[in-house]
Amino acid sequence: MNFPDDLKYHKEHTWVRVSGKKATVGITDYAQDQLGDIVYIDLPDVDSEIEKDAEFSEIESTKATSSVIAPVSGTIVEVNEELDESPEIINEDPYGKGWIAVVELSDPSELDDLMDASDYQSYVEEEAK
Amino acid sequence: MKLCVLGAGPGGYVAAIKAAQLGAEVTVVEETEVGGTCLNRGCIPTKTLLASTELYNRIKEADRFGIELKAEATASLQKIMERKNKVVQTQVKGIKGLFKSWSVELKNGRGTLLSEREIKVSGADTEERMTFERLIIATGSRPAEIPLFEFDGKKIISSTEALELTELPRSMLIIGAGVIGCEFACIFNALGTEITMVELLPRAVSTEDEEISSVLERELKKKKIKLFTGTKAEKVEIKDDSVHTTLSNGKMIVTEKVLVSIGRALNSHGIGLENAGVEMGQRGEIKVDTRMKTTAENIYAVGDVTGGILLAHVASREGIVAASNIMGEPAEMDYSVVPAAIFTSPEIASVGLREHQARERGIDYTTGHFQFRALGKAHAMGEISGLIKVVADGKTDRILGVHIIGPHASDLVHEAAVAIKAGLRVKEIADTIHAHPTLAEGLMEAAEDVHGEAIHLPKKQ
Repeated sequence: MNFPDDLKYHKEHTWVRVSGKKATVGITDYAQDQLGDIVYIDLPDVDSEIEKDAEFSEIESTKATSSVIAPVSGTIVEVNEELDESPEIINEDPYGKGWIAVVELSDPSELDDLMDASDYQSYVEEEAK
Repeated sequence: MKLCVLGAGPGGYVAAIKAAQLGAEVTVVEETEVGGTCLNRGCIPTKTLLASTELYNRIKEADRFGIELKAEATASLQKIMERKNKVVQTQVKGIKGLFKSWSVELKNGRGTLLSEREIKVSGADTEERMTFERLIIATGSRPAEIPLFEFDGKKIISSTEALELTELPRSMLIIGAGVIGCEFACIFNALGTEITMVELLPRAVSTEDEEISSVLERELKKKKIKLFTGTKAEKVEIKDDSVHTTLSNGKMIVTEKVLVSIGRALNSHGIGLENAGVEMGQRGEIKVDTRMKTTAENIYAVGDVTGGILLAHVASREGIVAASNIMGEPAEMDYSVVPAAIFTSPEIASVGLREHQARERGIDYTTGHFQFRALGKAHAMGEISGLIKVVADGKTDRILGVHIIGPHASDLVHEAAVAIKAGLRVKEIADTIHAHPTLAEGLMEAAEDVHGEAIHLPKKQ
């Protein structure tokens, strides 16, 4: 299981990569592993507002449908259209090509609530027990 | 008993046959073709089109099932429509054959009541009067129009014209995301028409359970059908070769056609009800009692024109009840268990209380869910989308409602209908062995899930 150091993590298994006022978000390696083969992602609309801790997308795998919880609040400025045709990219590369959306942060201080890689790793190991 | 039946749709023709079986001398008056909206402009033609589009979708997915195609499949709307017409014709002949075998006389023409004992039948070039002892009115309904969207029958159409198209529109805006709108969206989308939908209410198929609507909305999104809910079509203008529709959200949608499916208008005017003392309510619905009798002693009414539940199978049941009462076998309508199906892809079917209805009525209720994607059979079929939801009474554990979106939903719902009718408890479904591997296992598991005991679901957190 992979936990890149440059990311921040939400307890609902989403990640954030911050770059200035914008943040890229996606689901973690652990999340994709738990879901199994992803067959569809309901991408949010560009310009829509998302709210930290609330559902902003939904993922369907061959065994479950699952809410994707926003790790931060803000406005969606870009979505990964490639996932529309090939949602399996999330399974293959959850932290890279499998990114879900880019968010313009409305409250950067929310980032302080998120976990760093080592905290998230312990959290996941605890949950997996 | 001399009985006249006005209208030969699923309410009228069933009433006619039933009454004939019970010994009545029956004459049916029909303006167009036997079978009514259901057979000629509704249920049967749309399902025939769906059979073609589902096959087409399957062929396009052949690769996924390990089947290699030598060439790309193409769909011919003209040939699809020809097949549809043939299926309809066969069924029309079937009803006529039944009439003949039960000695039911069919008169072609428009019937108008002259009094509570006499009707005038105006054919193409004939006009005759006939008397009756009893009458059943089963004149049905038609696509509703409001002035803003007056059908021109070419660019702005109703479901009736949509079923006669032989050239596939490039694009179509569907106003109204109810049952009819959503079924047509799925049919034309499968053939390649770019579909946009606009719905005034906050969700698609708003009479269904909220969770069913949200799964359907996601399935429409997967098909690239754009749906605007809580939105009004404010202006519709025909410009050159296209229709420009302005929505209340400020967007302008330009399409080749606009299909209006905002509901049904009742066929209760212009048939002489006032001459026979048959009263109507505010929406033009003929007032009836539980025995389907109108305010006129010897006149009954069944089906859409009574404004109740606008479903073919409800009309048929009402027809049987009316005919039985007329022939001296007392019967009453019971609407407590009415299964209903919506033939979108995937299908939707429901019976009994929706969760929001249970909530609004202050019932102490519980729910159970099961996703088709947790069933081996669904994976084998390659159709894993959708779910089965059970609404149960929290105190008695009786099943109150079952809501299904997914493969073969319209067939699966009847086990639930029998269960509700029989007053069964959740445990009785859960404890009944269901054959494996079948989609019906999903209902058993959804029942088990009411108490968090579904075998094929992870433990709830």
